[in-house]
Amino acid sequence: MAGEYGSREVDLTVTVNGAEVSRRVPARLLLSDFIRDVIGLTGTHVGCEHGYCGACTVIVDGDAVRSCSTLAVQADGSTVRTVEDLASAGGELTPMQQAFHDNHAMQCGFCTAGFLMTLESVDPADYQDVDQVVELLSGNLCRCTGYQNIVKAVCSAWEVEGRRSG
Amino acid sequence: MKPAPFDYFRPATVGEAAAALSSSDSAKVLAGGQSLIPSMNFRLSQPSLLVDIRGAAGLDVLEAGPDGVTIGAAVTQSRVKDSEAVYSAVPGLRRALRFVGHLQIRNRGTVCGSLAHADPAAELPALAMAAGARLTIRGPAGERTADADGFYLGPYWTGLEPSEIITGVFFPAEPPGTVTTVDEIARRSGDFAVAGLAASFAVEGGAVAGARLVGFGVNGRPNRLAAAESAVRGFRTGAVEKDLYEAAYEDAADAVEDVHADSEYRREALGALLVRAARAAVSGGAGMEG
Repeated sequence: MAGEYGSREVDLTVTVNGAEVSRRVPARLLLSDFIRDVIGLTGTHVGCEHGYCGACTVIVDGDAVRSCSTLAVQADGSTVRTVEDLASAGGELTPMQQAFHDNHAMQCGFCTAGFLMTLESVDPADYQDVDQVVELLSGNLCRCTGYQNIVKAVCSAWEVEGRRSG
Repeated sequence: MKPAPFDYFRPATVGEAAAALSSSDSAKVLAGGQSLIPSMNFRLSQPSLLVDIRGAAGLDVLEAGPDGVTIGAAVTQSRVKDSEAVYSAVPGLRRALRFVGHLQIRNRGTVCGSLAHADPAAELPALAMAAGARLTIRGPAGERTADADGFYLGPYWTGLEPSEIITGVFFPAEPPGTVTTVDEIARRSGDFAVAGLAASFAVEGGAVAGARLVGFGVNGRPNRLAAAESAVRGFRTGAVEKDLYEAAYEDAADAVEDVHADSEYRREALGALLVRAARAAVSGGAGMEG
């Protein structure tokens, strides 16, 4: 039974990778499930579902966010970008995707979309040394690589030189 | 790993939000949702009504002036952390926020949300206590203010009534000679602290004239460290540090034990954090950049 305030279903309009999508969805639907199950873009991966691993990272209005810890309705009126928006329609990789490829910055690839979207959301000019790159990447977990090649890929794409201080 | 069903309501005003909260005995405020939604995913929290205050008029305020910084309930942690005007007035905010979650969490999580959630290992409630912050609270009966010091009663438990909302927080500007630090020990970057310290030192002539010290992550709520506040008075470079360490160790006598650390470890960590913070404070804040 609906209470005096609010409703279990909500109408929302979100622009996803340039296309406007309007749907009526359950209020409890997570943004990650909206992207994967309602829109059918499965490049966004769902790992821990409690905001820990970063696999589900997408860009909402320019900011990297955890789509598993965001309700779809909270993105109403927003612009969302997912990993499908990175490479061109012809399959040409972004420089960062190419750097991941060249440096073997993945093994199973489950976490890769999350890393790429975190990296896509920031201004490379804000990351001048390896410590800052490592700090940026700390919100995305990778259980295969040990991170070395991911850090190497980012440093190569952004022309960051030097070593970690700590 | 999905939230249980709930009604969703997006009020246009704070008054409407307060009325909605009063309408149900299991309504929750949703701002950034970075603690609430994970907890709902686990079904640890199953509110019947979510009141999404992010669009409510007047909550998007972030003002930094000579008196201090006012942060509305809709303002994200990233926005506060990145503001140079905020950093000039209250440097402690950036020093605390660098430990809060990760970039992706700070991009949605709000400062007031963290203050209301009252996780015992959270940095912002402890900073608010050390910095003498004041909360503005709106309920069905109107508006009131509350000092952050005294607001925290236990784990996830504050002086907030179920139908009340923290609409904003005011951090007073740090007077000249004040050094505010936040430091913690965590297993990994972005994890909750095993032990943490928020400290506001008044430094005169190279010595600590007074301090407000708050431990967090050590027991069920952020706590003022009375013995340490007394022991740190007069501390200067070269002074005996063992006394500070032992005072903080005593203040944390009721430190909790869990899978991350035993009680002894937390007490020793807090002592070490105090020595580190006091050293930095009397040497001009070295090593505390945001």
